[in-house]
Order: sequence, then C-alpha cells, then structure tokens
Amino acid sequence: MVEFRLPKNSTVGKGRIFTAAPGASNVKNFRIYRWSPDDDSNPVVDTYEIDLDKIGPMVLDALIHIKNDVDSTLTFRRSCREGICGSCAMNIAGENTLACLKPIRDIEGDVAIYPLPHMPVIKDLVPDLDGAYAQLRSIDPWLKSDTAPPPDSERRQSIEERAELDGMWECILCFCCSTSCPSYWWNGDRYLGPATLLAAYRWIADSRDEHAGDRLDALEDPLKLYACRTIMNCTQTCPKGLNPAKAIGRIKELQLERKA
Amino acid sequence: MSNPKKPHVTVMRSQLSRARGLGSGQAGVGHWWAERASAVALVPLSGWFVIQVFRLAGASQPEVAKWGARPFNTTMMLSLVILTFYHTQLGLQVIIDDYVHGKAHLPAGLLMKGIVFLLGLFGAVSVLKLALAGSSRSTIAAR
Ligand code: SF4
Ligand code: SF4
Ligand code: FES
Repeated sequence: MVEFRLPKNSTVGKGRIFTAAPGASNVKNFRIYRWSPDDDSNPVVDTYEIDLDKIGPMVLDALIHIKNDVDSTLTFRRSCREGICGSCAMNIAGENTLACLKPIRDIEGDVAIYPLPHMPVIKDLVPDLDGAYAQLRSIDPWLKSDTAPPPDSERRQSIEERAELDGMWECILCFCCSTSCPSYWWNGDRYLGPATLLAAYRWIADSRDEHAGDRLDALEDPLKLYACRTIMNCTQTCPKGLNPAKAIGRIKELQLERKA
Repeated sequence: MSNPKKPHVTVMRSQLSRARGLGSGQAGVGHWWAERASAVALVPLSGWFVIQVFRLAGASQPEVAKWGARPFNTTMMLSLVILTFYHTQLGLQVIIDDYVHGKAHLPAGLLMKGIVFLLGLFGAVSVLKLALAGSSRSTIAAR
C-alpha cells in the first residue's frame, strides 16, 4: 500500500551521540537507525564518532567496532564479511548494499545507515524478511525434472547451456534489489520483486529443468510479474552487479512468445 | 499505526500461504503487449499529426475543413485519436494498480475508463463531423 508519510510510531527522532576518544585523528560520523521492540518508543538515529585509523576499510568494520567497543546494543546481521552470505544488506548512504563490500572512503560526509527500506523492522538494522523468503519459496527454486538422471553421472549441460545461467547463479539473495523497488514497496504483498523473479528465471533458463511452462503459468499475473514497471532501481543497486531487470524482461518476452 | 478502537486482527496464516495468495491471475501479457504496441504505433501517427499542424498553420477555416474531409486524413486522425485514448487508458490503469488498493481499486478503474472513453469518443465524433460536414458543404458548393 502506498504510504507517503511515515505512520506516527515510525517517525524518526534524534538519538544519542557517542563522541570519539580524545586524540582521535581521523573521525567520521556514523548516523545509525535504532529501534527496539522492547520499549514503546519511536525509532531514533544515534550518532557514533568513529576513528577510522582504528578500524578496517568497510562499513561492516565500523559496525563491528561499534558493537564490540562502543555500544553492544547495536543490532545487525552479518556472517561471511566477504559478500557471499547476503546477511549484511542494509541502506548505506541512501543506497541498498552490503556493509561488508561498501568501502567507508567511498562515502562523502557522514555515513547514514538504515535497515532495508519498507520492510518491517525486527530491531535496529535487522529487517523482517520472512515474507520475501516465502515469496522465493513460492516459485519452487529448485530443479524440477521428470526424466530420471543418468544412473552413473549427474545431469549434463553443454557449455552454452551452462552459460545461460551466468548473471543469475551469482545472486546471494540479499534482497537489496527487491527492497529498492518502488513496485515492491507499494505492492510487495503480491508483486514477487526482482530477487524472486531473477531466481524464477534462473530455473526457467536452466536446460535441465523440465517445468518452464508451469513456472511461466505461475508467474503470469498482473501483479506477481507485471507490477515490474522497468524502473531499474534493482539493477542499479545490486551489490553483486547483477541485472534482475533484464531477467524480468526475459520472462515477459517468454510470456509473449508462448502466446503466438 | 494501530488503532486502539479497532480490535487487532491476528494473522496466523502462514507466510507461504500469503505469498502464494490466490495463485496466478493468468493475465497481464495482453495489457503489457498492448501498451507497447500502441506506443510504437503512436510514434509515426503523432509525427504525421505534428507535420500537418505546421502545414495547416494560418490556413483558413474552409481549407482546414477540406483537409479534414479527405478520407486519408480522416483515417489517420481516427487512428491517432483511438490509439491515443486506448493507450492513455492502459497507462492510467497501471497507475491505479500501483496506487489505489482495496475496495476503491475497481471503481477507480471503471471511473477512469468511463472518462477516457467519453473523451476519446468526443475526439472521434469531432473528426467524423469534420469529415462528413466537409463533404456535404463541398457538395452544396458544387451545386
Ligand atoms: S539480484 Fe543482486 S541485489 Fe538482488 S538479491 Fe540477488 S544479489 Fe541481492
Ligand atoms: S525494473 Fe522492475 S523489479 Fe527492477 S526496480 Fe524496476 S520495477 Fe522493480
Ligand atoms: S556479511 Fe555476508 S554478505 Fe556481508
């Protein structure tokens, strides 16, 4: 549903300021969204003055430093710290990206950090992605084949068939793209969003999969698929450099192709 | 925001059930394709129309009436009017789908389609009036 104004209990207030240790030479401000379900208060933005000489180069290094040494209540997700698990996705300096891949020096001025946009917040920088995961599950993101595999080997693909999956298998399901998409903000209850549609096309394009038709049937819907308005935010924001908008375009082409 | 006067509705339906929803509506391809096809058709039609407007700039009323009575011009004008309003209606429906939800969605779409239909029909009748009136006048003149 379109909401142009934040509901009253979501308006963001001013938070605390954590000053840097005296003598810190290379200080940058990190302005971080804070909200906890445990008290009844509105979210606030806390400011942390961080000495960049003391920490690693990435935004995630700053977050880990804050949690370990400044304010242990700060809550965020991370695991691999090398851009492969997708858990540290958040909105940094106005752009959805992975904290572990975002160099601090690329950001001018203060570093504003918010959770992924337009998702329910569990705490601080942790969004509730249950709905998005369920949407991914709804497209059956696994190989569906009725032909039995060869008894003594795996299912084989030609080099060209395998190349069809390039630009899709690399997706780490961070949902930076879906949560950057206005169509997903307004209609996320029915529109599947770019991350899930990229995954859907990944299986439609897989030469070993035998259910492309069923998959296209399930997607042929005014909102599930066609709520994509080709705004391209998804492709612009993907921290892995993938192009979900192109995959969605391919699905639309195939929908048309099978009608003629 | 929660409204204290309204009872809070507890939703225990699973996330997967909500994601699957009512399944696929088996529609959308036609609308999507019609939007693109009509847009492409409107490019030459609009170009032609702009050229005609420049050509007719400063022309007298009888000259314009004569122009409007030519079958080729009538055909082009009718195509332009019909496709423009058809395309408008497709585009506005997209905006309504994006921004109007719940019970208001259906009436908003119907209202929009009704208004666009009437405007389009008005345009078409105007083109036809010019076409037919022009021819009757020229027959009068010929008499
Ligand atoms: S396409 Fe990119 S932004 Fe979207 S989920 Fe995959 S890796 Fe993340
Ligand atoms: S191209 Fe489609 S999926 Fe990507 S941001 Fe735009 S509307 Fe969303
Ligand atoms: S911590 Fe795994 S992607 Fe950033």
